[in-house]
Amino acid sequence: MSATKLIKLTIDGHDVSVPEGTTIWDAARQAGIEIPVLCHSPRLRPVGVCRMCVVDIGQRVMAASCVRPCEDGMKVDASSPKVQRHRKVLTQLLLSDYPENSRREQTTGDDQLLALARRFGIDQIPFAEGASNGARGRDASSAVIDVDHQACILCDKCMRACNELQHNDVITRTGKGYGARIAFDLDAPMGSSTCVSCGECMAVCPTGALTNKLIVPVRANRRGSNR
Amino acid sequence: MKAFRLEDTQNPTTATAKVKRVDSLCPYCGVGCALTFSVDETSNRIVDVQGRDGAANAERLCVKGRYGFDYAMHPQRLTQPLIRKPGSYPKGALSAIVKNGSRARKAGGLVDYDEVMPHFREANWDEALDLAAGRLKQIRDVHGGDALAGFGSAKGSNEEAYLFQKLVRAAFGTNNVDHCTRLCHASSVAALLEGIGSGAVTNVVRDIEHADVAIVTGCNPTENHPVAATFMKDAAAKGTKLIVINPRRPQIADFAAMYLQPQPGSDVALYNGLMQVMIAENLIDRDFIARRVDGFEELKEIVAPYTPERVAKLTGLPAQDIVDAARLFGRAKAAMIFWGMGISQHTFGTDNARCLIALAMISGNVGRPGTGLHPLRGQNNVQGASDAGLIPMVYPDYQSVKDPKIQTKFEKYWGVKLSPKIGLTVTEIIGAALAGSVKGMYMMGENPFLSDPDINKVRKALSALEFLLVQDIFLTETAEFADVILPASSFMEKTGTYTNTDRRVQIGRPALAAPGAARQDWELICEIGNRMGFPMKYASIEAVFDEFAACTKEYKTLSYDNLGAYGKWYPCPDPKTSPGERIVFGDSFPLGKAKLVPARISAPNEMPDDAYPFVLNTGRVLQHWHTGSMTRRSHALDAIEPEAFVEIHPLDAAKLKLRDGDWSQVESRRGEIQLRVRVRDRMSPGAVFIPMHFREAAANVLTDPAIDPIGKIPTFKFCAVRIKRIDAPPNTAAS
Repeated sequence: MSATKLIKLTIDGHDVSVPEGTTIWDAARQAGIEIPVLCHSPRLRPVGVCRMCVVDIGQRVMAASCVRPCEDGMKVDASSPKVQRHRKVLTQLLLSDYPENSRREQTTGDDQLLALARRFGIDQIPFAEGASNGARGRDASSAVIDVDHQACILCDKCMRACNELQHNDVITRTGKGYGARIAFDLDAPMGSSTCVSCGECMAVCPTGALTNKLIVPVRANRRGSNR
Repeated sequence: MKAFRLEDTQNPTTATAKVKRVDSLCPYCGVGCALTFSVDETSNRIVDVQGRDGAANAERLCVKGRYGFDYAMHPQRLTQPLIRKPGSYPKGALSAIVKNGSRARKAGGLVDYDEVMPHFREANWDEALDLAAGRLKQIRDVHGGDALAGFGSAKGSNEEAYLFQKLVRAAFGTNNVDHCTRLCHASSVAALLEGIGSGAVTNVVRDIEHADVAIVTGCNPTENHPVAATFMKDAAAKGTKLIVINPRRPQIADFAAMYLQPQPGSDVALYNGLMQVMIAENLIDRDFIARRVDGFEELKEIVAPYTPERVAKLTGLPAQDIVDAARLFGRAKAAMIFWGMGISQHTFGTDNARCLIALAMISGNVGRPGTGLHPLRGQNNVQGASDAGLIPMVYPDYQSVKDPKIQTKFEKYWGVKLSPKIGLTVTEIIGAALAGSVKGMYMMGENPFLSDPDINKVRKALSALEFLLVQDIFLTETAEFADVILPASSFMEKTGTYTNTDRRVQIGRPALAAPGAARQDWELICEIGNRMGFPMKYASIEAVFDEFAACTKEYKTLSYDNLGAYGKWYPCPDPKTSPGERIVFGDSFPLGKAKLVPARISAPNEMPDDAYPFVLNTGRVLQHWHTGSMTRRSHALDAIEPEAFVEIHPLDAAKLKLRDGDWSQVESRRGEIQLRVRVRDRMSPGAVFIPMHFREAAANVLTDPAIDPIGKIPTFKFCAVRIKRIDAPPNTAAS
């Protein structure tokens, strides 16, 4: 096997060289430059749907760094004011119909969208509200996972985790336009779908859309029945 | 414009802001997933579990690992030593359900504490330990060491297993020590020791990514090794062809290139048939056979009559499928074999495993990436407990108790005379208790009342014991027969090393404080030893590990320091620079050359007949663990799968006028249970399946205690039963 070709580029002024095929996001990470992201994780196939990781490569439009391969001589700007402004507006857009209470912030405490809001110092949403809270629905039918469609940003991480990591092939998308949302099997309630409750979707979800239910302390009377 | 106030989105009272993170392991299966417990120290509760980037799981978890942690915090945890009250003798079962099986008044649930607890009184530690050690010592001194026996557990750590077998061997003076491996892979290990000289896997699960073909037989990985199954499915998605073999269609068959559904118990015929085709069509590795294998000619002769046509008759499979599977496997550049209890839990379990070993050997599929033999281990530490010598025939590291040199070595190591006599196995100890030759027992974390075959026999055996010491975290069915019960620590409350199915030794760390007066298991073993006059004093659990490691070849390079956060595979010649060996036996086997042991087909012990026309297969479901003492006390797991069932084919159901959700009585020659019917086409007609977890409809009331003559493993996968429709028992919810 011949050695993979090395690509040389700069990211925020740092010289970086990576094997051909490496994405800008991975190259930046190796160089210690963290590019924010919602729909991507190194465990998943990149799809570039959330656009939070966009970078300026001097072209007409910005590039989603999680899917764009590095090119020789590329000059990547990953943190200019323009890029930051873009990310801030995107965060505000995603928050415009976000529920007032993120179940993720209240359970595992790691809501990544709210973390971005903190990072960008967002104090107002300059857009009309989307639908009113709760309009996109909630599904509490699973024994372990709460589904809040209002908090879903359609990043597809849960689909990739379910179908490509665990190969359970349960989660898909349904609907069009603003009605688009994730679905289980042929749009069954999660609790009566073929879901095996592995929790991988919950683990990768960046928002309050898929969160752990509280494992209620079992109130066993000492007689031995749990129910 | 909408104002956005971050503080509105946060809940300042959320406990997660101040949780402690503890890097540990999953307590359930042999895959050995690494995880992180988030713990609220104020309330001593685990609040959630996250997957960690362990070698076996890459952050993935299953429902048990992610949501099954709350059993440790259950209010029924034992918190004080208990002593049986004088009025509760002569001994016997205490709750109606354990006395009478499923004819009890109430269905469902766990041991009834209200019924059982009044028969015990709380004691302090000194009183309970002195009584237990005193009674065990008395039996030893009057009747000799062989009147005592101990069951350790594959749920315990390597350190606990090592200390427990040391206690039985050195303080009890007998080799009557065994654990649930006997009910699990004893036959596989026997065949592997005989064939290559090592009972551990040759290649790790995730090596399947390098295999062209993998046989996945007698196992149901998506339910029983769910995270391992995700890597098998990864491989299948990238082109590895799976040949899935199981009389009960496992879900992984959906990802397979070929699914074969042989008649239950026809395994030897099938594998001999595959080998016959491979030899006849020269799909074998003659060079590998010449260099590394003995006994090929004899094997060739014995498998020669197993032509596809004859094997088709014996297995019920189309002859062409046998030919196709043999060609697919035989033509692979690298092929791997995974197997589970469907191979091992038969009266011919050792023969089944011998066939799989031969299949790998004649095709040269050992010692390279993407090849090898992988018996999927059940318990989180069944590999380690066996390595640590929790087996009646061998000291730690499989050193024979029959070898006088080894005996002398351990006599020096432990400073006491040892018995040269091979001890009794789990099933033999139950028989000996019934016959009266075993009079006293120490059970650490095992629940043989539900896990052993033929419960009615186990009930009599446990009642017949003069003295029974039970150490556990809950009042189990077995504890109802105890004289003294010691409250122990759960996995989440202790430090220890655990060896997974891949031979990876990993450290479990404590996340919780043990409830009440409950103590560490390893300390209790030492207390019993010390009070029997055999000093067992260790400064720490690490010191126990070091003593164990020093008397083995495989662990001796390992220590808590070099295991670190992620563990090592053994063998690990250079732990400073290497994670250990993913693949072993690249050049030679511990025996030198592998020894092929050909097998002929033999009939199961109890064939179906007119009176009992169905074959019963038993096993597990995704959400539950073994006898259910953990998972039935887990809120989520119990909510998802709350009750027992018998799975029957639609054609058989129609004949018996059974509909999905109906109640049925299932009877064998040993007993009967009542449970709901699930009509599914996973079993072939003529065979039914019942999970083992549910005490109110315990599958092991029905099972046959007949054992494999070499592995001494019971035939959990085959006995004859009959089924009839019944009305719903009183106090049961409608379907």
